[in-house]
Amino acid sequence: MAVVAVVVLHALAIQGTGFEPGLLVDGWKGMAAFVADAFPPDLSWDKTIRPGLEATLVTLWIGLLGTTFSVPFALLLAVLASRSTAPHRLVYQGARAVLSFFRAVPDIVFALIFVTAVGLGPFAGVLALICHNTGVMGKLWAESMEESDAGPQEALRTAGANRIQQVANATLPMVVPQFVGLLLYRFDVNVRSSLVLGLVGAGGIGLLINQSIKSFRFDSMLTHIIIVLVLIIVVDQFSAWVRRKLAA
Amino acid sequence: MDSPLLSVRGLHKSFGNRPVLKGVDFDVRAGELLAFLGANGSGKSTTLRCVMGIAQPDAGVIAVGGDDLGSLPWRQLQEARRRTAMIFQKIHLVPRRTALDNVCAGALARIPTGRSLSPLFFPRSVQQEALECLDRVGLADRAFDRVGRLSGGQQQRVAVARALCQRADIVLADEPVSALDPHAAEQVMALLQHLAHVEKLAVAAVLHQPDLALRRADRCIGLLHGATAFDLPSSEVDAAQLDALYAPDRVVAT
Ligand SMILES: Nc1ncnc2c1ncn2[C@@H]1O[C@H](COP(=O)(O)OP(=O)(O)OP(=O)(O)O)[C@@H](O)[C@H]1O
Ligand SMILES: [Mg+2]
Repeated sequence: MAVVAVVVLHALAIQGTGFEPGLLVDGWKGMAAFVADAFPPDLSWDKTIRPGLEATLVTLWIGLLGTTFSVPFALLLAVLASRSTAPHRLVYQGARAVLSFFRAVPDIVFALIFVTAVGLGPFAGVLALICHNTGVMGKLWAESMEESDAGPQEALRTAGANRIQQVANATLPMVVPQFVGLLLYRFDVNVRSSLVLGLVGAGGIGLLINQSIKSFRFDSMLTHIIIVLVLIIVVDQFSAWVRRKLAA
Repeated sequence: MDSPLLSVRGLHKSFGNRPVLKGVDFDVRAGELLAFLGANGSGKSTTLRCVMGIAQPDAGVIAVGGDDLGSLPWRQLQEARRRTAMIFQKIHLVPRRTALDNVCAGALARIPTGRSLSPLFFPRSVQQEALECLDRVGLADRAFDRVGRLSGGQQQRVAVARALCQRADIVLADEPVSALDPHAAEQVMALLQHLAHVEKLAVAAVLHQPDLALRRADRCIGLLHGATAFDLPSSEVDAAQLDALYAPDRVVAT
Protein backbone atom coordinates (compact mmCIF):
# COMPACT_ATOMS: atom_id res chain seq x y z
CA MET A 1 0.00 0.00 0.00
CA ALA A 2 2.73 2.44 1.05
CA VAL A 3 4.85 1.31 -1.91
CA VAL A 4 1.98 1.99 -4.31
CA ALA A 5 1.51 5.45 -2.82
CA VAL A 6 5.22 6.27 -3.21
CA VAL A 7 5.23 5.07 -6.82
CA VAL A 8 2.11 7.09 -7.67
CA LEU A 9 3.56 10.21 -6.01
CA HIS A 10 6.77 9.84 -8.02
CA ALA A 11 4.87 9.36 -11.28
CA LEU A 12 2.95 12.57 -10.58
CA ALA A 13 6.16 14.41 -9.65
CA ILE A 14 7.97 13.28 -12.81
CA GLN A 15 5.09 14.52 -14.90
CA GLY A 16 4.82 17.76 -12.95
CA THR A 17 8.50 18.67 -13.33
CA GLY A 18 8.90 17.63 -16.96
CA PHE A 19 11.64 15.25 -15.86
CA GLU A 20 13.14 13.97 -19.16
CA PRO A 21 16.62 12.40 -19.11
CA GLY A 22 16.55 12.28 -22.92
CA LEU A 23 16.90 16.05 -23.07
CA LEU A 24 20.11 15.81 -21.08
CA VAL A 25 21.56 13.31 -23.57
CA ASP A 26 20.61 15.51 -26.51
CA GLY A 27 21.91 18.61 -24.81
CA TRP A 28 25.35 17.32 -23.90
CA LYS A 29 26.91 19.28 -26.75
CA GLY A 30 25.71 22.56 -25.29
CA MET A 31 27.12 21.62 -21.91
CA ALA A 32 30.41 20.58 -23.41
CA ALA A 33 30.68 23.91 -25.23
CA PHE A 34 29.86 25.71 -22.01
CA VAL A 35 32.59 23.86 -20.11
CA ALA A 36 35.06 24.35 -22.97
CA ASP A 37 34.37 28.09 -22.88
CA ALA A 38 35.04 28.16 -19.14
CA PHE A 39 38.53 26.67 -19.53
CA PRO A 40 41.04 27.94 -18.86
CA PRO A 41 39.69 30.12 -16.02
CA ASP A 42 40.38 33.82 -16.43
CA LEU A 43 43.23 34.58 -14.04
CA SER A 44 43.76 38.25 -14.82
CA TRP A 45 44.25 39.97 -11.48
CA ASP A 46 42.69 43.35 -12.19
CA LYS A 47 39.73 42.24 -14.25
CA THR A 48 38.65 39.08 -12.46
CA ILE A 49 40.54 37.95 -9.35
CA ARG A 50 40.67 41.20 -7.40
CA PRO A 51 37.00 42.15 -7.95
CA GLY A 52 36.16 38.50 -7.19
CA LEU A 53 38.02 38.57 -3.86
CA GLU A 54 36.48 41.90 -2.90
CA ALA A 55 33.00 40.68 -3.72
CA THR A 56 33.64 37.44 -1.82
CA LEU A 57 34.53 39.46 1.25
CA VAL A 58 31.20 41.29 0.88
CA THR A 59 29.42 37.93 0.67
CA LEU A 60 31.16 36.85 3.86
CA TRP A 61 30.17 40.10 5.61
CA ILE A 62 26.54 39.65 4.55
CA GLY A 63 26.53 36.13 5.97
CA LEU A 64 28.21 37.28 9.18
CA LEU A 65 25.93 40.24 9.93
CA GLY A 66 22.87 38.28 8.82
CA THR A 67 23.74 35.70 11.46
CA THR A 68 24.95 37.81 14.39
CA PHE A 69 22.37 40.60 14.10
CA SER A 70 19.58 38.04 14.25
CA VAL A 71 20.85 36.69 17.59
CA PRO A 72 18.92 39.07 19.90
CA PHE A 73 15.66 38.58 18.02
CA ALA A 74 16.11 34.81 17.78
CA LEU A 75 17.01 34.59 21.47
CA LEU A 76 13.98 36.55 22.62
CA LEU A 77 11.59 34.61 20.39
CA ALA A 78 13.19 31.28 21.31
CA VAL A 79 12.68 31.91 25.03
CA LEU A 80 9.05 32.88 24.38
CA ALA A 81 8.49 29.94 22.02
CA SER A 82 9.94 27.20 24.21
CA ARG A 83 7.51 25.24 26.34
CA SER A 84 9.92 25.20 29.27
CA THR A 85 10.46 28.96 29.42
CA ALA A 86 7.40 30.66 27.90
CA PRO A 87 5.58 32.86 30.42
CA HIS A 88 2.12 31.97 29.09
CA ARG A 89 0.52 29.57 26.64
CA LEU A 90 -0.77 32.40 24.46
CA VAL A 91 2.68 34.02 24.30
CA TYR A 92 4.09 30.63 23.38
CA GLN A 93 1.61 30.19 20.52
CA GLY A 94 2.17 33.77 19.32
CA ALA A 95 5.96 33.48 19.33
CA ARG A 96 5.80 30.20 17.47
CA ALA A 97 3.56 31.79 14.84
CA VAL A 98 6.01 34.67 14.37
CA LEU A 99 8.92 32.24 14.03
CA SER A 100 6.99 30.11 11.54
CA PHE A 101 6.29 33.17 9.41
CA PHE A 102 9.94 34.27 9.24
CA ARG A 103 11.01 30.71 8.55
CA ALA A 104 8.38 30.12 5.87
CA VAL A 105 9.26 33.20 3.81
CA PRO A 106 12.48 32.34 1.90
CA ASP A 107 15.41 34.73 2.36
CA ILE A 108 15.38 35.45 -1.37
CA VAL A 109 11.82 36.80 -1.10
CA PHE A 110 12.86 39.00 1.81
CA ALA A 111 15.78 40.17 -0.34
CA LEU A 112 13.49 41.18 -3.20
CA ILE A 113 11.29 43.10 -0.75
CA PHE A 114 14.25 44.88 0.87
CA VAL A 115 15.82 45.71 -2.50
CA THR A 116 12.72 47.74 -3.30
CA ALA A 117 12.98 49.43 0.11
CA VAL A 118 16.71 50.17 0.48
CA GLY A 119 17.88 49.67 -3.10
CA LEU A 120 20.26 47.17 -4.70
CA GLY A 121 23.27 46.20 -2.61
CA PRO A 122 24.57 44.20 0.32
CA PHE A 123 22.47 46.02 2.94
CA ALA A 124 19.29 44.50 1.49
CA GLY A 125 20.96 41.08 1.70
CA VAL A 126 21.86 41.56 5.37
CA LEU A 127 18.30 42.57 6.22
CA ALA A 128 16.91 39.59 4.34
CA LEU A 129 19.18 37.15 6.16
CA ILE A 130 18.38 38.69 9.55
CA CYS A 131 14.67 38.09 8.94
CA HIS A 132 14.90 34.55 7.68
CA ASN A 133 17.61 33.49 10.08
CA THR A 134 15.66 34.80 13.08
CA GLY A 135 12.90 32.39 12.14
CA VAL A 136 15.14 29.36 11.64
CA MET A 137 17.56 29.91 14.52
CA GLY A 138 14.76 30.88 16.93
CA LYS A 139 13.00 27.61 16.16
CA LEU A 140 16.17 25.53 16.53
CA TRP A 141 17.10 27.23 19.80
CA ALA A 142 13.58 26.87 21.22
CA GLU A 143 13.69 23.16 20.46
CA SER A 144 17.08 22.66 22.04
CA MET A 145 15.77 24.34 25.22
CA GLU A 146 12.75 22.05 25.25
CA GLU A 147 15.00 19.01 24.90
CA SER A 148 17.45 20.07 27.57
CA ASP A 149 17.32 18.79 31.16
CA ALA A 150 14.60 20.72 33.03
CA GLY A 151 15.97 19.70 36.44
CA PRO A 152 18.16 22.75 37.15
CA GLN A 153 15.31 25.08 36.23
CA GLU A 154 12.95 23.26 38.58
CA ALA A 155 15.56 23.41 41.33
CA LEU A 156 15.76 27.20 41.05
CA ARG A 157 11.99 27.49 40.95
CA THR A 158 11.74 25.64 44.26
CA ALA A 159 14.42 27.99 45.63
CA GLY A 160 12.09 30.90 44.87
CA ALA A 161 13.72 32.28 41.70
CA ASN A 162 11.37 34.05 39.29
CA ARG A 163 10.96 33.01 35.66
CA ILE A 164 13.58 35.37 34.23
CA GLN A 165 16.08 34.30 36.91
CA GLN A 166 15.40 30.63 36.14
CA VAL A 167 16.01 31.17 32.43
CA ALA A 168 19.17 33.23 32.94
CA ASN A 169 20.70 30.96 35.57
CA ALA A 170 19.60 27.46 34.59
CA THR A 171 17.94 27.04 31.20
CA LEU A 172 20.29 29.17 29.08
CA PRO A 173 23.59 28.12 30.68
CA MET A 174 22.53 24.49 30.18
CA VAL A 175 22.20 24.93 26.39
CA VAL A 176 25.19 27.17 25.57
CA PRO A 177 27.07 24.46 23.61
CA GLN A 178 23.99 23.56 21.55
CA PHE A 179 23.27 27.25 20.90
CA VAL A 180 26.80 27.96 19.68
CA GLY A 181 26.79 24.83 17.52
CA LEU A 182 23.53 25.90 15.86
CA LEU A 183 24.82 29.46 15.46
CA LEU A 184 27.89 28.21 13.58
CA TYR A 185 25.76 25.94 11.44
CA ARG A 186 23.53 28.89 10.53
CA PHE A 187 26.58 31.05 9.75
CA ASP A 188 27.73 28.36 7.36
CA VAL A 189 24.31 28.21 5.69
CA ASN A 190 23.95 31.99 5.60
CA VAL A 191 27.26 32.53 3.82
CA ARG A 192 26.04 30.19 1.11
CA SER A 193 22.61 31.86 1.04
CA SER A 194 24.20 35.27 0.62
CA LEU A 195 25.76 33.96 -2.62
CA VAL A 196 22.29 33.29 -3.97
CA LEU A 197 21.03 36.64 -2.68
CA GLY A 198 23.76 38.25 -4.81
CA LEU A 199 22.04 36.82 -7.87
CA VAL A 200 18.95 38.96 -7.18
CA GLY A 201 20.96 42.12 -6.65
CA ALA A 202 21.95 41.96 -3.00
CA GLY A 203 25.65 42.40 -3.77
CA GLY A 204 28.62 40.13 -3.23
CA ILE A 205 30.18 37.46 -5.42
CA GLY A 206 26.77 36.15 -6.50
CA LEU A 207 26.25 39.40 -8.37
CA LEU A 208 29.58 38.99 -10.23
CA ILE A 209 28.78 35.40 -11.18
CA ASN A 210 25.43 36.54 -12.52
CA GLN A 211 27.11 39.30 -14.55
CA SER A 212 29.75 37.01 -16.07
CA ILE A 213 27.05 34.53 -17.14
CA LYS A 214 25.01 37.31 -18.71
CA SER A 215 28.04 38.60 -20.64
CA PHE A 216 29.08 35.04 -21.67
CA ARG A 217 32.38 35.37 -19.76
CA PHE A 218 32.34 31.75 -18.57
CA ASP A 219 36.10 31.83 -17.93
CA SER A 220 35.72 34.56 -15.29
CA MET A 221 32.67 32.75 -13.95
CA LEU A 222 34.84 29.69 -13.34
CA THR A 223 37.41 31.82 -11.48
CA HIS A 224 34.69 33.24 -9.28
CA ILE A 225 33.31 29.78 -8.56
CA ILE A 226 36.78 28.61 -7.52
CA ILE A 227 37.02 31.59 -5.15
CA VAL A 228 33.61 30.69 -3.72
CA LEU A 229 34.75 27.12 -3.22
CA VAL A 230 37.76 28.33 -1.23
CA LEU A 231 35.52 30.61 0.87
CA ILE A 232 33.15 27.77 1.71
CA ILE A 233 35.99 25.46 2.67
CA VAL A 234 37.49 28.16 4.92
CA VAL A 235 34.14 28.85 6.64
CA ASP A 236 33.59 25.13 7.12
CA GLN A 237 37.04 24.65 8.67
CA PHE A 238 36.49 27.64 10.93
CA SER A 239 33.16 26.25 12.22
CA ALA A 240 34.75 22.86 12.85
CA TRP A 241 37.62 24.50 14.71
CA VAL A 242 35.33 26.53 17.00
CA ARG A 243 33.20 23.46 17.72
CA ARG A 244 36.30 21.48 18.65
CA LYS A 245 37.41 24.27 21.01
CA LEU A 246 33.97 24.31 22.55
CA ALA A 247 33.89 20.58 23.14
CA ALA A 248 37.29 20.63 24.82
CA MET B 1 9.84 19.16 73.17
CA ASP B 2 9.75 22.15 70.84
CA SER B 3 7.10 22.43 68.19
CA PRO B 4 7.85 20.99 64.72
CA LEU B 5 9.24 23.24 61.97
CA LEU B 6 7.39 21.24 59.36
CA SER B 7 4.15 19.47 60.10
CA VAL B 8 2.12 17.48 57.58
CA ARG B 9 -1.34 16.04 58.30
CA GLY B 10 -3.70 13.96 56.20
CA LEU B 11 -1.95 14.58 52.88
CA HIS B 12 -4.00 13.21 49.96
CA LYS B 13 -3.10 13.24 46.30
CA SER B 14 -4.48 11.43 43.26
CA PHE B 15 -3.20 11.34 39.71
CA GLY B 16 -6.28 10.96 37.54
CA ASN B 17 -8.49 8.60 39.53
CA ARG B 18 -5.54 6.70 41.03
CA PRO B 19 -4.93 7.70 44.66
CA VAL B 20 -1.19 7.96 45.37
CA LEU B 21 -1.22 9.59 48.82
CA LYS B 22 -3.93 8.42 51.20
CA GLY B 23 -3.27 10.30 54.39
CA VAL B 24 0.41 10.95 55.05
CA ASP B 25 1.29 12.41 58.48
CA PHE B 26 4.66 13.44 59.81
CA ASP B 27 6.51 16.16 61.72
CA VAL B 28 10.10 17.33 61.45
CA ARG B 29 11.66 19.30 64.30
CA ALA B 30 14.67 21.57 64.30
CA GLY B 31 17.77 19.53 65.09
CA GLU B 32 16.27 16.31 63.76
CA LEU B 33 17.18 14.07 60.83
CA LEU B 34 14.21 12.14 59.53
CA ALA B 35 14.34 9.30 57.00
CA PHE B 36 11.53 8.25 54.68
CA LEU B 37 11.52 4.58 53.76
CA GLY B 38 9.23 2.81 51.36
CA ALA B 39 9.04 0.71 48.24
CA ASN B 40 9.12 2.17 44.73
CA GLY B 41 5.87 3.96 44.02
CA SER B 42 4.85 4.24 47.68
CA GLY B 43 4.57 8.03 47.33
CA LYS B 44 7.78 9.33 48.93
CA SER B 45 8.69 11.72 46.10
CA THR B 46 5.09 12.85 45.72
CA THR B 47 4.99 13.70 49.43
CA LEU B 48 8.09 15.88 49.17
CA ARG B 49 6.85 17.48 45.93
CA CYS B 50 3.58 18.43 47.63
CA VAL B 51 5.45 20.01 50.54
CA MET B 52 7.66 21.95 48.08
CA GLY B 53 4.64 23.19 46.14
CA ILE B 54 5.79 21.47 42.92
CA ALA B 55 2.68 19.27 43.12
CA GLN B 56 -0.69 20.39 44.44
CA PRO B 57 -2.16 18.15 47.17
CA ASP B 58 -5.89 17.38 46.98
CA ALA B 59 -6.33 17.54 50.73
CA GLY B 60 -4.30 17.86 53.89
CA VAL B 61 -2.49 20.47 55.94
CA ILE B 62 1.13 21.49 55.44
CA ALA B 63 2.38 23.81 58.17
CA VAL B 64 5.77 25.54 58.20
CA GLY B 65 6.75 27.05 61.55
CA GLY B 66 3.18 26.51 62.70
CA ASP B 67 1.59 28.40 59.79
CA ASP B 68 -0.75 26.48 57.49
CA LEU B 69 0.52 27.14 53.95
CA GLY B 70 -3.02 26.88 52.60
CA SER B 71 -4.15 29.95 54.53
CA LEU B 72 -1.11 32.22 54.16
CA PRO B 73 -1.23 35.43 52.10
CA TRP B 74 1.10 35.45 49.11
CA ARG B 75 4.03 37.28 50.73
CA GLN B 76 4.16 35.04 53.76
CA LEU B 77 3.75 31.99 51.56
CA GLN B 78 6.84 33.04 49.60
CA GLU B 79 8.69 33.46 52.90
CA ALA B 80 7.58 29.99 54.06
CA ARG B 81 8.70 28.48 50.75
CA ARG B 82 12.05 30.21 51.08
CA ARG B 83 12.52 28.33 54.36
CA THR B 84 12.14 24.95 52.61
CA ALA B 85 14.86 23.74 50.26
CA MET B 86 15.01 20.58 48.20
CA ILE B 87 17.96 18.31 47.34
CA PHE B 88 17.49 16.03 44.34
CA GLN B 89 18.87 12.63 43.43
CA LYS B 90 19.97 14.01 40.07
CA ILE B 91 21.53 17.01 41.82
CA HIS B 92 20.25 19.54 39.24
CA LEU B 93 23.20 21.92 39.27
CA VAL B 94 24.46 23.67 36.13
CA PRO B 95 27.65 21.72 35.24
CA ARG B 96 29.18 24.53 33.17
CA ARG B 97 29.06 27.03 36.02
CA THR B 98 31.36 27.18 39.00
CA ALA B 99 30.39 25.76 42.36
CA LEU B 100 30.23 29.31 43.71
CA ASP B 101 27.86 30.54 40.97
CA ASN B 102 25.62 27.52 41.52
CA VAL B 103 25.48 28.17 45.26
CA CYS B 104 24.70 31.87 44.67
CA ALA B 105 21.67 30.75 42.64
CA GLY B 106 20.11 29.54 45.90
CA ALA B 107 19.86 33.21 46.89
CA LEU B 108 18.12 34.38 43.70
CA ALA B 109 14.91 35.13 45.60
CA ARG B 110 16.72 38.00 47.35
CA ILE B 111 18.70 39.25 44.34
CA PRO B 112 17.00 41.90 42.17
CA THR B 113 16.13 40.45 38.75
CA GLY B 114 18.39 42.96 36.98
CA ARG B 115 21.42 41.79 38.94
CA SER B 116 20.68 38.11 38.44
CA LEU B 117 21.03 38.00 34.64
CA SER B 118 24.65 36.90 34.94
CA PRO B 119 26.84 35.72 37.84
CA LEU B 120 29.04 38.74 37.03
CA PHE B 121 26.39 41.02 38.52
CA PHE B 122 25.63 38.97 41.68
CA PRO B 123 26.03 41.21 44.75
CA ARG B 124 29.27 40.83 46.69
CA SER B 125 27.40 40.01 49.88
CA VAL B 126 25.70 37.04 48.21
CA GLN B 127 29.00 35.74 46.86
CA GLN B 128 30.53 36.08 50.31
CA GLU B 129 27.65 34.17 51.85
CA ALA B 130 27.85 31.49 49.15
CA LEU B 131 31.52 31.03 49.92
CA GLU B 132 30.67 30.54 53.59
CA CYS B 133 28.02 27.97 52.63
CA LEU B 134 30.60 26.09 50.57
CA ASP B 135 32.89 26.20 53.56
CA ARG B 136 30.15 24.66 55.72
CA VAL B 137 29.96 21.67 53.36
CA GLY B 138 33.76 21.43 53.24
CA LEU B 139 34.23 22.60 49.65
CA ALA B 140 35.54 26.16 50.00
CA ASP B 141 38.68 25.15 48.09
CA ARG B 142 36.62 24.05 45.06
CA ALA B 143 34.52 27.25 44.85
CA PHE B 144 35.93 28.29 41.48
CA ASP B 145 35.88 24.86 39.83
CA ARG B 146 33.18 24.08 37.33
CA VAL B 147 30.62 21.76 38.89
CA GLY B 148 31.01 19.35 35.97
CA ARG B 149 34.59 18.71 37.11
CA LEU B 150 33.56 17.65 40.63
CA SER B 151 32.75 14.12 41.71
CA GLY B 152 29.14 13.08 42.31
CA GLY B 153 29.53 13.30 46.06
CA GLN B 154 31.09 16.76 45.84
CA GLN B 155 28.31 17.88 43.50
CA GLN B 156 25.67 16.76 45.99
CA ARG B 157 27.46 18.72 48.72
CA VAL B 158 27.41 21.79 46.45
CA ALA B 159 23.65 21.25 46.12
CA VAL B 160 23.41 21.20 49.93
CA ALA B 161 25.40 24.46 50.01
CA ARG B 162 22.90 25.95 47.57
CA ALA B 163 20.10 25.01 49.97
CA LEU B 164 22.03 26.69 52.79
CA CYS B 165 22.51 29.82 50.68
CA GLN B 166 18.73 29.88 50.30
CA ARG B 167 18.80 30.32 54.13
CA ALA B 168 16.48 27.35 54.43
CA ASP B 169 15.92 25.85 57.85
CA ILE B 170 13.99 22.89 56.45
CA VAL B 171 15.91 20.69 54.02
CA LEU B 172 14.09 17.95 52.12
CA ALA B 173 16.18 15.47 50.15
CA ASP B 174 14.82 12.98 47.63
CA GLU B 175 17.25 10.05 47.43
CA PRO B 176 20.27 12.33 47.92
CA VAL B 177 22.74 9.42 47.92
CA SER B 178 21.20 6.94 45.46
CA ALA B 179 23.65 7.87 42.70
CA LEU B 180 26.70 7.96 44.97
CA ASP B 181 29.28 5.34 45.90
CA PRO B 182 29.21 4.09 49.53
CA HIS B 183 31.97 6.42 50.68
CA ALA B 184 30.45 9.54 49.12
CA ALA B 185 27.03 8.47 50.42
CA GLU B 186 28.39 8.31 53.97
CA GLN B 187 29.94 11.75 53.54
CA VAL B 188 26.70 13.32 52.34
CA MET B 189 24.69 11.60 55.10
CA ALA B 190 27.21 12.79 57.68
CA LEU B 191 26.76 16.31 56.31
CA LEU B 192 22.96 16.10 56.57
CA GLN B 193 23.34 14.75 60.11
CA HIS B 194 25.64 17.64 60.95
CA LEU B 195 23.13 20.16 59.58
CA ALA B 196 20.44 18.67 61.81
CA HIS B 197 22.37 18.01 65.00
CA VAL B 198 24.85 20.90 65.02
CA GLU B 199 23.27 23.62 62.89
CA LYS B 200 19.78 22.75 64.16
CA LEU B 201 18.02 22.51 60.80
CA ALA B 202 15.07 20.23 60.20
CA VAL B 203 16.20 17.61 57.66
CA ALA B 204 14.13 14.89 55.99
CA ALA B 205 15.61 12.51 53.43
CA VAL B 206 14.12 9.75 51.29
CA LEU B 207 16.51 6.81 51.47
CA HIS B 208 16.52 3.43 49.79
CA GLN B 209 19.17 2.01 52.14
CA PRO B 210 17.46 0.98 55.42
CA ASP B 211 20.80 0.33 57.12
CA LEU B 212 22.00 3.85 56.30
CA ALA B 213 18.69 5.28 57.51
CA LEU B 214 18.75 3.37 60.80
CA ARG B 215 22.35 4.38 61.43
CA ARG B 216 22.10 8.07 60.54
CA ALA B 217 18.51 9.18 61.07
CA ASP B 218 16.92 9.98 64.41
CA ARG B 219 13.52 8.83 63.26
CA CYS B 220 12.21 6.74 60.39
CA ILE B 221 8.89 7.01 58.63
CA GLY B 222 7.69 4.05 56.62
CA LEU B 223 5.37 4.79 53.73
CA LEU B 224 3.20 1.97 52.42
CA HIS B 225 0.81 2.54 49.51
CA GLY B 226 0.65 6.27 50.17
CA ALA B 227 0.02 6.16 53.91
CA THR B 228 2.26 6.32 56.96
CA ALA B 229 2.86 2.72 58.06
CA PHE B 230 5.15 3.55 60.98
CA ASP B 231 6.81 6.57 62.56
CA LEU B 232 9.42 5.46 65.06
CA PRO B 233 12.78 6.37 66.53
CA SER B 234 15.38 4.56 64.45
CA SER B 235 16.35 2.34 67.37
CA GLU B 236 12.83 0.92 67.53
CA VAL B 237 12.49 -0.03 63.85
CA ASP B 238 12.82 -3.80 63.48
CA ALA B 239 13.24 -6.22 60.62
CA ALA B 240 9.58 -7.21 60.59
CA GLN B 241 8.51 -3.62 59.99
CA LEU B 242 11.00 -3.25 57.15
CA ASP B 243 9.86 -6.54 55.64
CA ALA B 244 6.30 -5.30 55.66
CA LEU B 245 7.39 -2.20 53.68
CA TYR B 246 9.41 -4.03 51.08
CA ALA B 247 7.65 -7.45 51.20
CA PRO B 248 7.75 -9.15 47.80
CA ASP B 249 4.03 -9.98 47.98
CA ARG B 250 3.04 -6.33 48.24
CA VAL B 251 0.64 -5.04 45.62
CA VAL B 252 2.84 -3.16 43.19
CA ALA B 253 1.41 0.34 42.79
CA THR B 254 1.88 1.09 39.12
N1 LIG C 1 3.11 13.39 37.62
C1 LIG C 1 2.56 12.16 37.80
N2 LIG C 1 1.54 11.76 37.04
C2 LIG C 1 0.97 10.54 37.21
N3 LIG C 1 1.37 9.66 38.12
C3 LIG C 1 2.40 10.00 38.93
C4 LIG C 1 3.05 11.28 38.80
N4 LIG C 1 4.03 11.35 39.73
C5 LIG C 1 3.99 10.18 40.40
N5 LIG C 1 3.01 9.37 39.92
C6 LIG C 1 2.69 8.03 40.44
O1 LIG C 1 2.53 8.11 41.82
C7 LIG C 1 3.05 6.95 42.44
C8 LIG C 1 4.02 7.37 43.53
O2 LIG C 1 5.15 7.94 42.90
P1 LIG C 1 6.37 8.52 43.72
O3 LIG C 1 7.32 9.06 42.72
O4 LIG C 1 5.89 9.43 44.78
O5 LIG C 1 6.95 7.20 44.38
P2 LIG C 1 8.27 7.02 45.20
O6 LIG C 1 7.88 6.49 46.53
O7 LIG C 1 9.08 8.25 45.19
O8 LIG C 1 8.98 5.88 44.37
P3 LIG C 1 10.53 5.67 44.03
O9 LIG C 1 11.12 4.91 45.16
O10 LIG C 1 10.49 4.84 42.77
O11 LIG C 1 11.13 7.01 43.80
C9 LIG C 1 3.67 6.11 41.38
O12 LIG C 1 2.80 5.05 41.06
C10 LIG C 1 3.81 7.04 40.20
O13 LIG C 1 3.63 6.36 38.99
MG1 LIG D 1 10.91 8.86 44.26
